[in-house]
This record gives sequence, C-alpha cells and structure tokens, in this order.
Amino acid sequence: MKVGEHEISEGLYYTKDHEWIKFEGNLARIGVTDYAQKQLGDIVYVELPEIGKSVRQATEPKTKEMELGAVESIKAVSAIYSPLSGTVKETNQALQDRPELINTSPYTEGWICVLEPNNLEAERGSLLTPDAYATFLKTLT
Amino acid sequence: MKFKQASWANDAHLEPLVFELSRANRTGYTLPQKTPSGANIPENLVRKKLELPELSEPEIVRHYTRLSQMNYGVDSGFYPLGSCTMKYNPKICEELAALETASRIHPYQDEGTIQGALELMYKLERHLAEIAGVARVCLHPSAGAHGEFLGMLLARAYHKSKGKERKEVIVPDSAHGTNFASAAMAGFDVVVVPSNSKGRVDIGALRKAVSKKTAALMLTNPNTLGLFEDEILKIAEAVHKVGGLLYYDGANLNGILGKTRPGDMGFDIVHFNLHKTFSTPHGGGGPGAGPIGVSRKLEKFLPVPVIEYNRKRRRYYLDYRRPHSIGKVKAFYGNFGVLVKAYAYILLMGASGLQEATEAAVLNSNYIMHKLRGVSGYELKFDASGPCKHEIVFSAEPLKRETGVTARDVAKRLLDYGMHAPTYYFPPIVPEALMIEPTETEPKEELDRFVETLKAIADEARSDPEKLRSAPTQTAVGRLDEVKASREPILSWRMYRKLAKQ
Amino acid sequence: MGHPYIPNTHEIREQMLDEMGVASIDELFADIPEKIRLKRELKLPKQMSELEVKRHVRAMLAKNEPFTKMLSFLGGGVWPHHIPSHVQSLVQRSEFLTSYTPYQAEVSQGMLQALFEYQSVVCELTGMDVANASMYDWATAIGEAALMCARVTGRKKVLVPELISPERFAVLQNYAAGPGLELVKLGYDWSTGQLDMSQLRAGLGQDVACVYVENPSYFGFLETQIEEIANATHNAGALLVVGVNPISLGLLKAPGDYGADIVVGEGQPLGNPASFGGPTLGIFACRDDQKLVRQIPGRLIGMTTTLDGKMRGFTMVLQTREQHIRRERATSNICSNEALCAVAAAIYAVSLGPRGLRELAEICAANASYAMKKLDAIDGLEAPIFTSPHFNEFTLRCTHPKFTVENLNTKLLKQGIQGGKPISKEFPEFGETAILCTTELHTKENIDRLVDAVAEAMGARR
Repeated sequence: MKVGEHEISEGLYYTKDHEWIKFEGNLARIGVTDYAQKQLGDIVYVELPEIGKSVRQATEPKTKEMELGAVESIKAVSAIYSPLSGTVKETNQALQDRPELINTSPYTEGWICVLEPNNLEAERGSLLTPDAYATFLKTLT
Repeated sequence: MKFKQASWANDAHLEPLVFELSRANRTGYTLPQKTPSGANIPENLVRKKLELPELSEPEIVRHYTRLSQMNYGVDSGFYPLGSCTMKYNPKICEELAALETASRIHPYQDEGTIQGALELMYKLERHLAEIAGVARVCLHPSAGAHGEFLGMLLARAYHKSKGKERKEVIVPDSAHGTNFASAAMAGFDVVVVPSNSKGRVDIGALRKAVSKKTAALMLTNPNTLGLFEDEILKIAEAVHKVGGLLYYDGANLNGILGKTRPGDMGFDIVHFNLHKTFSTPHGGGGPGAGPIGVSRKLEKFLPVPVIEYNRKRRRYYLDYRRPHSIGKVKAFYGNFGVLVKAYAYILLMGASGLQEATEAAVLNSNYIMHKLRGVSGYELKFDASGPCKHEIVFSAEPLKRETGVTARDVAKRLLDYGMHAPTYYFPPIVPEALMIEPTETEPKEELDRFVETLKAIADEARSDPEKLRSAPTQTAVGRLDEVKASREPILSWRMYRKLAKQ
Repeated sequence: MGHPYIPNTHEIREQMLDEMGVASIDELFADIPEKIRLKRELKLPKQMSELEVKRHVRAMLAKNEPFTKMLSFLGGGVWPHHIPSHVQSLVQRSEFLTSYTPYQAEVSQGMLQALFEYQSVVCELTGMDVANASMYDWATAIGEAALMCARVTGRKKVLVPELISPERFAVLQNYAAGPGLELVKLGYDWSTGQLDMSQLRAGLGQDVACVYVENPSYFGFLETQIEEIANATHNAGALLVVGVNPISLGLLKAPGDYGADIVVGEGQPLGNPASFGGPTLGIFACRDDQKLVRQIPGRLIGMTTTLDGKMRGFTMVLQTREQHIRRERATSNICSNEALCAVAAAIYAVSLGPRGLRELAEICAANASYAMKKLDAIDGLEAPIFTSPHFNEFTLRCTHPKFTVENLNTKLLKQGIQGGKPISKEFPEFGETAILCTTELHTKENIDRLVDAVAEAMGARR
C-alpha cells in the first residue's frame, strides 16, 4: 500500500522510528522503511552492528544499547533503533559495498540485520501493523 | 552585473593535477652546495623512491595561479556567510605579518631577542580583555574550536579545584556544531536546551536543565539567529546559582563591539575568533586564532607560558611558574602570524572604529531584514518584532512550498550572480534556513543588489525552476556528485592511481 | 570623515535608517538591557592611520632580532628553511587568502584541488593512502591520533617514549583527559636512546590502543628498531602512530613502509616561516582501512565528478564524521584548520620535487654530521650524547664543570650566535645538554664559526 509517495510493504511490522520487522521463524529481519530512506536521501554508508551484540528495545530516552548501527547520507547520520530486545545474528554485508540498496530496495535487498529476539511475548504488542504505520505516516506527511 | 568564473578545463577535467603535469628532471628550485661530509644515515633507513611531481617554477606558478582564478574570496565579491563574519581583510596587516621581524623569529630564541613579539602579544591580550570585559586573555588556541576546547578544560579544572566533578555542559539547540563536539572532547555530557518561540533560550527549560551537575552553559550572544539574548542576566543567574560557569562563544562578537561586553553580561569564559571579528583572513579554512578570556577566578588555570612584564627590569618574559595551569593545548605560544594582523586591525580601527564597525554591521543586517521580508518566498521564522544584530536568518520554506525549490537551490543560483551563498540549513531549528551576515565592509549598493537578486531568484523559481535546480552554470564547474564522492572516496593521488589500475 | 573599511558613510547610513523607518542607530541596540550597556568608550588606543600603524608595529617588532640576522641553531619543533619566493606570492593571492572553507564546491575548485594536492603530497612523503587537509600542529595531531586509536580499538592506554618532546606530551595529556586515556612512558637505552624493547613488550597488554614514537626523535636520533616496534605493536592488536618532521622524509624511509598505521607531524618546515611558533601545520595521515578512515579527524577533500559524470571535480567528503553534522559524536571538534599553510606546503614540496627534497634532507643531515664531529672534538663537550644515527638535530652536552649550557649560550649570543635549546630542566638526567639543529641555511663556514665560538667560550682545546 502507499501513503502519498511512500510504500508500505504488507506482511511486515513497523515502528514509529520507521523500521520494519519481518518474522522468520524465531528470528526477526530488520530494515528501514521507504519513508526513512526518502528522508535520508542518497545513502553513502551503513554502520552495521557487531554480530553477537545485545540490544534493548528502543524506548525514550534513547540510549546506546538500543542502537543497531547507523545510516549515513552526505548531510546526515541517523541511528537505527532496535524494535525488539535481542541478539544480532546476521548483518547484510552487501551494504558495505552497495549502501544504495537501502534506497532502491528498502524492504528486500536493503535489509540491515537479523535479530534473535529474547523478549518477544512482552514486546510484540508495541509493534505496528501496516495499517497502523500507514495511519501514523499520514500524521507526518 | 553578469558573472562568469574562470574555468580552465578540457573535456574531462579542469586544470590538471600537479601530479599530471609532472615531467622527469624538471625542477622548481635550486639548493646551495653540499657540505663536505656525508649524511651518515644507514642504508636500511633510507627510502628507495619518492614519487612527487617534477615541474619548473613557471609551470608551478601558472598552475596555482589558474587554481586561484577558480576560487572565490571576500576580495572577489559579497560573501554573506552567517556567523563567519567575512569582512574585508586589510592588506597592511598582511605586510606587517610578513616582516622579517615578525616571521623570521624562533619561539625558543633568547627572550632578549624577542621582546617585540612578547610586547605585541601582551598588548593584544589586554586590548581583547578590555573589549570583552574579562580579566585575562590567553592567545594560544589556533582556531575557534581549539579555543572552545581550552574553555572546556578550564571549566573542568575550575570545578575540580572546588572538589567537584561536574559532568554536564548545556548547549542551546541552535548552537554551532563545534560547541557540542568541544564539550564532548573535554569529557562532558552534552545537555541540549530548546529555544522558545522568540528564537531565544527558553528560560524555563534552562532552569529545569541546570543542576549541581552543570559545569557550564555555552552560549553565543547575539545567538545564531542573529537575535540578542535579552534575558541574558536571567540566564547568567540561573547558571551561577547552581555554581556553573558561563561560556561565551565569540563567533558573533561583531554584533556588539563597544555596545556591551560579555564579561559585563556575566560570562566567566569568553572566546574570540580573530579570523572573524578581528579581520584576519580565513585562508580557505585557516590559519585562524581562537583566544580565550577569563574572569579572575579562572586566571590561575590558564595554559603556560603566560606573558608577563617585569616592571623593574622593564622586560617581558614567559612565565612557566603556574602551578595550577592546565598545561598546554598547543606547542609554543599561539598563531603569532595571525596575532600580528589582529593587533594591527585593532589599532587601525581604534575604540571608535570598532564601535562604528558594529553599528554599520548591525545596520546592514537590519537593512537586509527590512527589505527581504517584503519579498515573497522568504520569511522570518522567529521574532520579527524587534531588531536583529549583525546577522539574520531567513527561511525559504514558503518558496519551497510554492515551487519545490529549496534553500540549497537558491544558494547555488546566487553563485551565478557572482555572490557567495549565505550559510544554509543552519541553525537546524529553522527549516530551509538562509543565514545572512553582510558585515560592515559591504556598501549599500551591494546589499540592494543582494536583495534584488534573491527576488529575481524567487521569480525564477516560479517561472523556470529548472534554472535553479541546474545552477550554478556560471562557475568553474557545475554541481558535483557528492554522493559518489562519499560512497567511493578517492582521497589522494595514490588512491586515484590504485583505482585506475583496477 | 568615514573609515576606509566602512563603505557606508554617515550620510548613507542615515539614508538607510530613513528607508527602514528607524529614527537612529541606537534603536537597533535598544534590546540590550540597560544594566549591561557600555556607557563609555572602550579603553583602546585611538584609531590610527595606516601610516601610523605601520610605524608603530614596525617599531615594536624592531625589538625582535630575526634569526636571519643571527646565526641560529634552533629547531625543536619549528625549523627554519629557505622558502622559495613563489610559494608565498602564490598563497597570498587573495582568491585563496580571503576565501572561506570550501563548502560551495562549485566556486571553490581552486582551494579544493590545492588541498587535494596537499593531501596527496603528504601521502607520498609518509607512505600513507589518506591524509586530512590539516590539523593545528604536530602536538594536537598526536592528541587526535590517540583519541582516534582509542575509538578504533575500544582500548584506553597509550604508550609513548620517555624521550617524547615535553611540549607535545603536555598537549597529549589534555587530549587524553576527556575520555580518560592512560598515558604510559616507555624507557630508553641509556647509550643509544633507542626505545627499551623489553619495556615495550611488557607494556603491550590487551588494553593498549596505540604506541606513539617520534622518528627522528625530539633528541634528533633515528629509531633503528622501528620495524620491531611495529611488529610488537601489531601483535598486541594495537596501532602504531609515528610522529615526523616531513623534511626528513625526503631521505628517510616512509613510515608507511615500516608499519605505521597513522603518521602525524609538523608541516611548518614545508614552505611556512617559523613565525614565532605559529601558524604551524599539523600533518595527519593513515592507511586506507575502512575502520581508520571513518574515524579520521579533520577535513577530507575527495575527487568526484559533476552530476552528469562528465567533468572531474573536488569536494569535501565524509562530512558526517565532522562536528557540523555529528556534533558531540564527531570524530573531532576541528572546524577551521591550517588550510593556507597546507597549500604553501604543497607548493613547496612540488617545487623541490623528489630530488630536491632528497638533496635538501642530505644537506641538513650532512651539516649536522659535520657539526657533531667538530663539536665533539672540543674538550669538555660531547655531541651527540646518543650513539645512534641522527637526522638534522643532535644533542650537545657540556661535561666541563665550569660551564652550563645557559652561560655558553649567553656568550654565544654576544657573538651573534643563537645556540641550541637547553633541555637540562626538561631532562635533568642528561646534565648540561642542549638540542641543536642544522638546515640548508647553514654553510660550512657558519658551522666552523659556531665551533670556534664555543671553543673560545670554553677556553678549550679542539
């Protein structure tokens, strides 16, 4: 579906920090949304998290333990905040050479990392469905 | 007025790199004869090759002359970069700094042979102290950010001497990036305080943010919106009440010379940018100088050496006996070549001239504010009810809403008219910000032309936006691919060659 | 009458105020609270004409004795060399001199390309792939290097030689203070001055971010064990930072060829006058390793093309490391640097070229070698105090009980000779010792004159 110019992919969950989550068995694949990549502009570098890093679900105020790396355009740096608590299992090495994948395919080839959630039951409820995210996006645009 | 910048170019590039102009056995220099015995360096420590270009002197001169023609300075035209104070750089200052007695002296010479240098620095310190209303000035820092770092180290030392470790430094959300970075480098946590709807520090928010953890508040006044923080006394009180220090970022000092002084406002640490207010040339990014002034209670922490005067012997000397000094932030004593220029500038202006400069700078800025607010497409985001000081921030948001054209596009199109763009997208609290600082060395005609041009550009945005998006076209080169530049950085001739081989 | 630097005369200002509907200039300052308004003129000298300022400043500076009018053997972090006249005339061109940081790349290709050429020159000299567009000086470059190594390795200890320049060490201490880095000094061999390798190995724990060495050292000798130092450092997972005088690199092996990860140094001797110790030029370069380049402080100029891909051009890159974007998480707070000095350095280096720089370095070293030999021959003097190869600086120790370096220097000064820098206070363990420097400015006759004067001052045999 679309909100204005921004694509929202079905079958994924979302956060208000513009991350998407795809559940794959007991793992969660994470990336940033079309809205996010449009806001950032051409991405020149992705700082990927370390494999094995423990992260906490992002709440206010934001701290370093909630960060899953960062995405950089030439004029800005945006931290990626973890939608769930867990451990980083895999990172998308293709982004090292081709950070622009986040711009061209934010929901597919531009995935950032795979997380093994450790508190899913409690945290799942705070994630947004595609419709809820669309509603949220409408308030911004 | 039409403008076209020189463009030495062929199909693929502008003026070649000096490495590309190299031809074996050419040389641009001769050396005096060798001394009898050899260098006596073991062979295994000697390099086998050094790949630097070989050119003759005329080729080198032509190359760099051509490069200079593809560069734009204050001497070329209007340069209204907000917070940079791009004022005219007097040429007499250049002449004086180049004198043998200024440039051919070594910092370790016997003190009897450098009395002139010590005297100049001593007097410059005192003039700056008077201008800022502080007790003592240190001329060591090489740049504004360097001075900021020193200021933060002094704050740390002060609190430590009181047996306290205060971890926080408060910075307004409109502050220059170096403020945040300098505080962090000195080991502080940065607490950001918001601006209110009038574009000034939100006193309520500030009172909530200060605590026994506050080491200092960093503030510039006038602030980065060009507005005077009229509640400065309340701000000072809030910070001093909890035992914190008040730090003044001197970037905007040109807005208040002779009218008020940071020391009188309650600032404990005052920073100066000699390459802004005191007219030493920016040099394309340096060298500058960022002296720091302090109130009496912080004097003992200043870096060594401190220049003192022995009345009995009638001699200046370098005093290293400062047990509470924080040590050094730079080797030697400061960017002397820059200090000579600032000293001369203060004499050329005198007390009356500095005040006149501020008045003319503030008038020029208010004049632009008055004329530009009548131009559709640009608006003032914050307090338009009173005067601004030496700079003013406009927003090109209305133009963006109307035509889709951005502040960047406007700035790039200005270049086509032979004017340097104002600072844009700063401060971050103003969308599509254009930060304009004309300075006092700009004639009224140029200000009128600037406003006319912004109006013409707004019209172009409506009728032919592509003209702006494709701007600039009258400069040595058009817009560059900054994304490619950062994605695949080529940072040296070496890297370029390696890449070409692949 | 108006001021020459203020084009809007009193009349024009009145006209502007009129147009604005403002009664007087005071209205524009009405928002300054009464309590803090300055009610008097600033107590500064009266405005002077250009002629008066010229006379005043010249007279003040005339109280300086330039080293060009004396015979000086001072070095120690700032080294006088001959600067070809075209270097200064080119950097004084006002399109360079009066420009700002090249944020608007389209009108600033001149400065951008000149700085790219400087970065390139530094890379060739140091054997590194990446160099920034300058830091303030050698001392602050060391500080920034330590911070960078701490960020890259996640470790907090920095090892430095005991024989490090005290001024540079003092600056490093202030940079280390922020993140609380621990600085540890490593001992040296008493006769050679070389780094004590057993102390190095013992000190290289898993908590060491970097090892810093100066080559040539503050005392003028070369670190002959440098490859061993590099290996030991890397085996411990630490980075090697080497500090240099770039003039030496005309002759000596590039640090990149013996394992340096980061090279820092003082670029002043390349085309910039001594100028009482400032402006100086901090060199900062590193290997082309993603982990390092992302953490490098300072401005970086990169090559690119125009948007249509047709023309080559230059622009500032990787700005997301810098303060104006990253703010408190920037790699450094540095904004303005020593750009114009960097351009002068580039012009100087390309003027001499590889053979000129080689010859220059050989002359500097040969002069030092000759001076050491002749001074050492004087009864009561020892030059150098370390049995290692030296570049263009060396130590001179006075073992004669009747003389100190200070009083020798005083006697020399009476003969128009500026002797070396006494280091007895900084390093009391070496007794009455000074550091002397020779460059291409010194002729054989100059050195002979020094030797004769010293011998005479000591009433000594040679």
